[in-house]
Amino acid sequence: MTISDSQAEPIRLPDEQTTDSTAKNAAITDRWRNAGWELLPEASLSPVMNVALDEALLQQVGKGLRPPTLRFWGWASQAVILGSFQSVRNEVDELAAREMGVDIVRRMSGGGAMFVQPGATITYSLYAPEDLVRGVSIADSYAAFDSWVVEGFQELGVQAYYAPLNDIASPEGKIGGAAQARRPGMVLHHTTIAYEMSSDEMLRLLRIGREKLSDKGIVSAAKRVSPLRRQTDLPRTEIVAHLIAHFRQRFGLTESVLTAEELASAETLVANKYGTEKWLRSLP
Amino acid sequence: MNEQHGEYKTPGGKLVVVDLTIAEGRLATAQVSGDFFLYPDETLLSITGALIGMETAIALEEHTVASQITAALPPDAVLLGFTPESVARAVRRALVAEPESEVRK
Repeated sequence: MTISDSQAEPIRLPDEQTTDSTAKNAAITDRWRNAGWELLPEASLSPVMNVALDEALLQQVGKGLRPPTLRFWGWASQAVILGSFQSVRNEVDELAAREMGVDIVRRMSGGGAMFVQPGATITYSLYAPEDLVRGVSIADSYAAFDSWVVEGFQELGVQAYYAPLNDIASPEGKIGGAAQARRPGMVLHHTTIAYEMSSDEMLRLLRIGREKLSDKGIVSAAKRVSPLRRQTDLPRTEIVAHLIAHFRQRFGLTESVLTAEELASAETLVANKYGTEKWLRSLP
Repeated sequence: MNEQHGEYKTPGGKLVVVDLTIAEGRLATAQVSGDFFLYPDETLLSITGALIGMETAIALEEHTVASQITAALPPDAVLLGFTPESVARAVRRALVAEPESEVRK
């Protein structure tokens, strides 16, 4: 899910994908069409509430209390969101974060750190019963969960394709990255896309060591990220609206709202987990 | 106690970071971190569990360390973007690195 750290996999063009994966995608599309997807549109929330809601909503969907759901995140403040297996001090300059007023939170999924700023990022989560990707390996499911976004971008004239394991890419560089958390019977897939990007701020906040760049042969990490703004003049809100329209057309989508119980459950998770030093520094 | 730090970027994959402390010729503590994906989450404890208590002379042998990690993995473990060999390489790098408890902020 990292925006800072594009992966080094050779870029795979769509026509090199096997017919096997095409058949799998068709099977997934069928299942997704009958799943009764609900939409939670962007709502401005604190970074810690955003990561807590992911766990709260995953549990709701996993227990069958909510249909499969697509949620777009809204950001009340800028933040660094660490992957669940990342070390705080190895990834982020905490002093710089404090000076810049950037929150640091840890999410429930693995992958890399991302730097998000209100209005500069598009982030969404998909909460799904595991049945919706039954028969698909975890690695292959990354591409399956994001295929509608790649198509949505292509319709807007953005040259986008999936670069396994977890990147949405363009010929100019990485556009976004995904991460998945799994619990028995349920999947959380979330993706962050760079719309605009302040490379200077990102490089000040995130430690991007020499080792991370060792197999890249490029000096500048920021150059490897190509925000959408470089490829389209459309405002961010229009891009989000188009992605929602595309999802609706492909799988069906009904507007939904967070229930009081869901919000309360997320608030409890903030108090007991995501807002605690114990969770943030579980890997110091 | 000195802290030893090693990193290894899996070619075409993710970064693995290992932080170790050593006492009485063995790995006293071990933290494995990085931007990899690992399922289920608790598998990380199996990986660090395989390292803690290991003699440093053995921990330098990448092949042995990788086999011990593999043996400790639960049957349903899925590692994406890294391998037991990546962890073993980062362990070795941590062991041969200069102690850096003084310099890290």
